[in-house]
Amino acid sequence: MELGQMQGRLAEYTRSLYMEGILDAQFLQLQQLQDESNPDFVVEVVSLFFEDSEKLLNDIARALDQQSVDFKRVDAHVHQLKGSSASVGAQRVKDACVAFRNCCEEQNVEGCLRCLQQVKQEHYLVKNKLETLFRLEQQIVAAGGSVPMAEMTF
Amino acid sequence: MLLLPILLIPCWYAMVNRVEHQVKNWNSNEFHSMLMSEIENKAKFLSPINSSATNLARILGSSLNGTALSFSEIETKVAPVLFQELSTIPYLSQISYFGLDGLFFSYYTDGNQTLAMYTNSSFFSAPNGRENYIWLMQDVDIETGKLYGKAIESRPWTMANASWFQEALNNKHGSASLETGWNNAQDLLFLNSARLNRGVLSLGFPVKTLTTIFTGVDYHGGSLYLATQDGKMLVEGLPKTHTLLASNVSCTMKDGTSRASTLTIQETEYTFYCLPLDIVGVQSVYVLAVPQNRLVSLVHKNKKVALLLLLVVIATMIGSFLGFVFIIVRAARGEMHLCAALIKQMEATQQAERKSMNKSLAFASASHDVRASLAGLTGLIEICYVEVIPGSELATNLRQMDTCAKDLLDLLNSILDTSKIEVGKMLLEEDEFDLAQLLEDVVDLYHPVGMRKGVDVVLDPYDGSILKFSQVKGDRGKLKQILCNLLSNAVKFTSEGYVTVRAWVRKTSLQNTMIASKRNCLPCLFYKNSQAYNDFETMDAALKDPNVMDFVFEVDDTGKGIPKEKQKSVFENYVQVKETAIGQGGTGLGLGIVQSLVRLMHGDIGIVDKEIGEEGTCFRFDVLLTICEIVSCNNVEAEQLEMGVGTHLLGLSSQTPSPEMTIRTPSPGLCARTASSKSTIHSPSPKQKASHVVLLIQDNERRRMSRRFMENLGIKVSVVKQWQHLSSTLETITHKQNHSHHNSLVKSYFYSPSEYLSRSATSNSITVEKDVPLSTMDGSDYILSVFRRTTPRCASSFILVVIDACAGPFPELCRSVTEFRRGLNNTCCRVVWLEKPMMRIINCKGIAETMMEPNDIIISKPFHGSRLYEVVRLLPEFGGTLLGNMGKMKESLSQVGKMPRDPSSSQGPVELPDHGSSSEIPRKKILSPIENLSHFKPKSRSPLNHGHLPQEQESKELFLSGKKVLVADDQALLRKVTVSRLLRLGATVELSENGQEALELVCKGLSDQSKCGTSKILPYDYILMDCEMPILDGYKAAEQIRKIEKHYGVHIPIIALTGHTGGEETKKIIEAGMDVHLSKPLESEHLLEAIRYIDNKWSCV
Repeated sequence: MELGQMQGRLAEYTRSLYMEGILDAQFLQLQQLQDESNPDFVVEVVSLFFEDSEKLLNDIARALDQQSVDFKRVDAHVHQLKGSSASVGAQRVKDACVAFRNCCEEQNVEGCLRCLQQVKQEHYLVKNKLETLFRLEQQIVAAGGSVPMAEMTF
Repeated sequence: MLLLPILLIPCWYAMVNRVEHQVKNWNSNEFHSMLMSEIENKAKFLSPINSSATNLARILGSSLNGTALSFSEIETKVAPVLFQELSTIPYLSQISYFGLDGLFFSYYTDGNQTLAMYTNSSFFSAPNGRENYIWLMQDVDIETGKLYGKAIESRPWTMANASWFQEALNNKHGSASLETGWNNAQDLLFLNSARLNRGVLSLGFPVKTLTTIFTGVDYHGGSLYLATQDGKMLVEGLPKTHTLLASNVSCTMKDGTSRASTLTIQETEYTFYCLPLDIVGVQSVYVLAVPQNRLVSLVHKNKKVALLLLLVVIATMIGSFLGFVFIIVRAARGEMHLCAALIKQMEATQQAERKSMNKSLAFASASHDVRASLAGLTGLIEICYVEVIPGSELATNLRQMDTCAKDLLDLLNSILDTSKIEVGKMLLEEDEFDLAQLLEDVVDLYHPVGMRKGVDVVLDPYDGSILKFSQVKGDRGKLKQILCNLLSNAVKFTSEGYVTVRAWVRKTSLQNTMIASKRNCLPCLFYKNSQAYNDFETMDAALKDPNVMDFVFEVDDTGKGIPKEKQKSVFENYVQVKETAIGQGGTGLGLGIVQSLVRLMHGDIGIVDKEIGEEGTCFRFDVLLTICEIVSCNNVEAEQLEMGVGTHLLGLSSQTPSPEMTIRTPSPGLCARTASSKSTIHSPSPKQKASHVVLLIQDNERRRMSRRFMENLGIKVSVVKQWQHLSSTLETITHKQNHSHHNSLVKSYFYSPSEYLSRSATSNSITVEKDVPLSTMDGSDYILSVFRRTTPRCASSFILVVIDACAGPFPELCRSVTEFRRGLNNTCCRVVWLEKPMMRIINCKGIAETMMEPNDIIISKPFHGSRLYEVVRLLPEFGGTLLGNMGKMKESLSQVGKMPRDPSSSQGPVELPDHGSSSEIPRKKILSPIENLSHFKPKSRSPLNHGHLPQEQESKELFLSGKKVLVADDQALLRKVTVSRLLRLGATVELSENGQEALELVCKGLSDQSKCGTSKILPYDYILMDCEMPILDGYKAAEQIRKIEKHYGVHIPIIALTGHTGGEETKKIIEAGMDVHLSKPLESEHLLEAIRYIDNKWSCV
């Protein structure tokens, strides 16, 4: 594939991520923090996030599985997830977390389970998307080009 | 109205009819009978005369024997009786005796004469019988009756045959007839005759005399005819009618009653009453002609006329009444129409108002939405701007987009302001600010804009009163908005010349009384609206406050001007003066908003009339602002602040004030004139020579302003208008200086520390007495009160040369200055170069370094406001130190200009600080070194660099350089992100995974520090603390840290990071002893803000 074309695709793809609300300005700021001294910063942060979040999701699922659900614990987990997703800029995960916390407050097991599904789904989506994004970037780097800074044109 | 005539007319008509009827009745019955009875009476009165002849004849007959009388007998016996009778019997005019034999004797009266007619011969005695029978006429003596005079013969009357004679003879009772008299007039006479023996005695009564008795009666319009029975007319009632009468009126005597007959003569109907009458025995007839219905017809006629008149009157009345009614009705109808129109109009107006209100509201809400999106846009543009490679086309485009978006936002804001004002929601946000600074900021902001067009924007200090009262409380933003709007208009519409901004303070008392009087006059008219009244009340209250002053501002330009008739409408919304606004754009909302804002601040705006021949417009407005209470400690603080700045910049670690640093801050209003200070002003020490300022400024207005200002301060000013004259002016000064200098003493330049202290103490004590009445101050006093005059220790004069670098070719100017310097042997001289910000002439490095002295000052901002004051303060009289030989002295002086270099500014000699940028700093605080750095470094608020993003970015990046920050967060992800953020800002970062770790690190740091003996230095400048952490959460950790650090007497700022927002969380955080709350995710902007906030907070304590 032509390098320029790839770069174009990357830009297009990035834009679509922002447009769909999967990512927000926080991710952009993360990208800004990446520089020569710290070339894989974004990837590192994002992978940290996924590690973290998978663990948290498991915890949540386990907590909800119990006979008597400890909503406080669930809430703490969700809160954490929310914090980390916000830091990465995974907007839709964050939004889902907000809804999840509301359910926790109501002590609604059904709602919590539904929200968990929702969060998982969003989590999966953003994971996929970001992986694709990183793959694209890697391809560009491999092709000898530089990853253009995402231009926010929306 | 009509009823009255309808009732009245029949009433009146009936009355008149009755009158007519009565008159008719009376006329027909009473009237003629009354007349007739009167005639009867008259006739009766005459009736005794009838028998007089008979009676006389009997008396005479008895005295005479029955034989024929001879003449002598007649003469002696009869004649005297006759005479006697003539004299006694009334009306009698002729009396005579005829004998049958022809003897005859008669007396008669002819006028006043009494005559006798007789004949002495009988028919028989005369020889020739009857032929010789003649009558004689002779005068009679009235007394005796004797005849005298000559008897005149006259023709005899034959009467023997006369009927009356025969009748008298035959009739025992005598006879009466109508005969002609003897007298010359031959009047008709009634003859009453009777037989006497053989003769006849006759008495003649004149008809005329008797008929006058009848005719003398008033017949009320009727007339009387008298005639004898045989048809002789005696009295003719109406002239020339007797023939008519004769033919038409026949009197029948048979029944003796009158019978009326009518006849129309000369169009008058007469009723004739014919009755017999006996006059002296003569049977006669009288006819009474009474005009028939004469009265009646008169009444009738009058009635008609009256009726007619009445009708006319009534008709006129009705006509006028109808006319009146018509007019009234028409007027009423007109009024009704007007009323209806008014109501309609009012309804329409109300509807329009409602519509407009709704529109405004809808508009406002829509505008809000638009603004929100716009704000989003500008934010995004800003973000994008960071991304792009500086200098690329995209960057340029982005900047343009940014400008456009900001313009759009401004436009929208102005519209929003209008709607806000319309709705009445605009409120003043009162806070303290420095007015002088604000003015300077605004003017500086528009200076480059003006310079681009070749228009100079000048801030005129005027009387300096603004400096004195510069610390005021009011709505800074709105005042700035007003000034900006007026200035931008002025700059926009001025193509050549200058724009001057002036401001001064005046007392509110005048206005106060004015308003009070207004209020007295029209209390109920104006203030029906309770809200308006309340507004007024508050305003009144504001006016009563002695601290409230009236600040007057003038923006004066030399543009096209506004035609007089348009001046009023300029302040209406959406109105632009067509002729001048062409091609300039704008909504025309600006001045409307300005006016509303000015009114909101209890002021008014108007256009001041310029003198004839002067071009341009001069807007003047005034607002009420409260003057802040300035306590003397402020003064100290302010000075300390300046000192702090100086200290830091000199790189000295100690904060003790060094006496050399005596820049006077523009501390307006701090000190008032006292007697002592006044004396120093007006009677300077004789030894001291006034400083000399040489001004070479290209722009007329600025030159005039600077010169006036300095001269007001008592500074000697030489003005050079063209650069060619500079060297000659300088030469003259050199000459003078050198000449006089030989005699002057050179003294020490130093201030000792104690001297400084005492000076500052006095200045402080002076500030206490600040209640000097305003009115006693003239303009220069204001300025002088601001610029403390000190008596310099040096008697040598000081020359300050202020040169506009653009005034002429720069090398030429430099050369003349250098020559000038060389020429001065002992006089201190400093040069201030004024540079146009747009064209950096001096910046050519080579020239600058070789030709300029290191102590020269370059001012690249407009020369007014604080720059002007700083320059004035260079003069020894105003606190400046002289350029001495000592190195330290030099250093202290140069600090005036030696400020950290703006990366974008010149590399030449020292520059004056841009005081415009210091306006944002609250006054009451001492700045920490860091604050100073961050404050001076970016210079982003200077007009030139406004919106210059890369620079701002740069400043951000260096924001935390040299700082040590501890981050406590359990999540590796967040830790990583935060750390890289902080690194980017230049900080040194330490990590901890939970509260416990953080606490330990702090403890260790503190103990290490104390071991080293530098306990006051913090182990960490800031701690970023996540609140929810395992083992020890953020709250508890913070509490612990606060406890521990107490032992060391320090305070480490802690910034809390949570995923929560809201007041409750913040409260909890504050309770835990943390300083600031930031919500996740961490934003650089927020962090910067928080750090600034902490710096401010703790530097104040």
